[in-house]
Amino acid sequence: MDGVIQYTKRRIDAVIGRTPEQTDQGSNAGIHLQLWVLVFLVVFPIAVALIVSTKQQGIVTSLGDLAPGTYALENYREAIVDYNFGRFMWNSLVMSTVVVAGKLVISVCAAMAIVYYRVPYKDLVFLFILFTLLLPVPVRFIPLYQLINDFGWGNSLLAITVPYLASATAVFILRQHFLSIPTSIVETAKLDGVGPIQFMVYVLIPMSKGVLVGVSIIMFVYAWNQYLWPLVIINSEANQVAQVGLQLLQGDVQGGQLSWSLVMAGSMLTLIPPLVLMIIFRKPLLETFTIQQK
Amino acid sequence: MSTREIFDGRLEAALLLLPTIIVSVVFLYYPTALAVRTSFFDSGFGRQDEFVGFENYTTLLTSSDYHSSILLSVLFAAIVVVGVISFSLYVTFLIHEVEYGQTAYLLSVIWPYALPPAVGALVFLFMLHPTLGVVTGPIEALGIDLNWFSNGSQAFVVVALAAIWKQIGYNVIFMIASMNTIPDALTETARLDGVSRFRRLVSVYVPIMTPTLFFLVIINTIYAFFSTFALVDLLTSGGPSGATNILIFDLYQEGFSFFNFGIASTKSVILFLVVGILMYVQFRVTDKYSYYGG
Repeated sequence: MDGVIQYTKRRIDAVIGRTPEQTDQGSNAGIHLQLWVLVFLVVFPIAVALIVSTKQQGIVTSLGDLAPGTYALENYREAIVDYNFGRFMWNSLVMSTVVVAGKLVISVCAAMAIVYYRVPYKDLVFLFILFTLLLPVPVRFIPLYQLINDFGWGNSLLAITVPYLASATAVFILRQHFLSIPTSIVETAKLDGVGPIQFMVYVLIPMSKGVLVGVSIIMFVYAWNQYLWPLVIINSEANQVAQVGLQLLQGDVQGGQLSWSLVMAGSMLTLIPPLVLMIIFRKPLLETFTIQQK
Repeated sequence: MSTREIFDGRLEAALLLLPTIIVSVVFLYYPTALAVRTSFFDSGFGRQDEFVGFENYTTLLTSSDYHSSILLSVLFAAIVVVGVISFSLYVTFLIHEVEYGQTAYLLSVIWPYALPPAVGALVFLFMLHPTLGVVTGPIEALGIDLNWFSNGSQAFVVVALAAIWKQIGYNVIFMIASMNTIPDALTETARLDGVSRFRRLVSVYVPIMTPTLFFLVIINTIYAFFSTFALVDLLTSGGPSGATNILIFDLYQEGFSFFNFGIASTKSVILFLVVGILMYVQFRVTDKYSYYGG
């Protein structure tokens, strides 16, 4: 009974615009405080890495040692030049760019055929592409290793790009997006007698800029962060990517031989490209994710 | 709907689909078929392949090492899924509740989406290093003897923490999108009814977010099974004495340390079945819950 009276009182308060005694207002400072603690937990490890990358030896055994050092330039230079990390970064960049560009082109083509062509069996083809979601690298890298070596592609750029080009995720996201472009626009294009190539270049791509950017970021992060496949298929330092290069930089650090500050400088360098892209393009990226879930 | 299908050139459509289909067949379907075939053979470097029927399967299904690897993987996935979902859900909720600083808070918890797993691993290795780690001192001050190079359960926890940390960004991205679609009216009603903040999260928001949460449970499970290879490889190499030897690392070792391609292929096929079942469950569950909208 009391509950009902309380409830009615609050309702009346709300209707006549009086501020009800709210159970959770006023504790906003508490919310911010909690957020600060949680954000600290998420950021702390990488902040430590950043600080260590500026120190001389990188020996930081207590919280008191966490003042930034003055060796940043030297460490980064040493990692990039003396330890070949510039080369690894370049290889990663080439690999990721080729994968993103290739995936984008062939996925736009496939999604266009699936949405804008009246041809038999296209739903079956779409399912066929979608089914490859079940075949991530870990379930096929052993036969793929043998196949790529049979092709004579071992230890090459081809090996770390071509197998990644088909993308069920990209085709799926693009298809969903194409289906949301109003039919009136498509019909107008048809009445104007627009051919497929013109349609793709002058209608489809301009109408899909945000999604194309979002998909590119998702694919860049995916390609840049690949570890297992390059580890297996690339066996020369000259062709190695940054992810695996880190391990070479780490070397016998477990034995305490190598400077941790160099490893952390390499880690920072490896983190920067995907992080910067993600921050710059966060809006189209987040919008594209909401399409993916549908 | 059908008005979108403005073109009907079969050859054109085929040409548009061809690149994706060729790459899918050659680098995804064919290697998977090869893995299935090889799983019935005794195969390795320098010996003739010999057909052995289901022997590889029976060997694995009766191997106690493999059993413990399966158990470890399931336990690992469960801890990662529960850990990452509860942390991300709570932090998303707090961000949803504050009135200012939302973008800054959001960016400072979603950035690990871009974090390369290899970098995450090295940062954790450094931070928690048994003798050199920054937070090793403070942890040991709590009376815990941090010794995860030789203590199996500690190693397991360290890898799980790194895995959770890396996956927070991805989860928050999807959770905030889902939470932002909850109508304000519902939040207002709950407030007026005197529902406490925490209760509102658990009894109002979580049920509405069920489709997204299920999606994330599956995605995180797949992540824990497959995308944590770099963490295990760099942090523990599956040790100490197999304590972190999850299926994907076990498979890698079988193939590239022991060169038993037959058994390794059998392990690939078993992993494929695991992904298949997970995806199927996700498909069925999202299908069932999508009636509620969101």
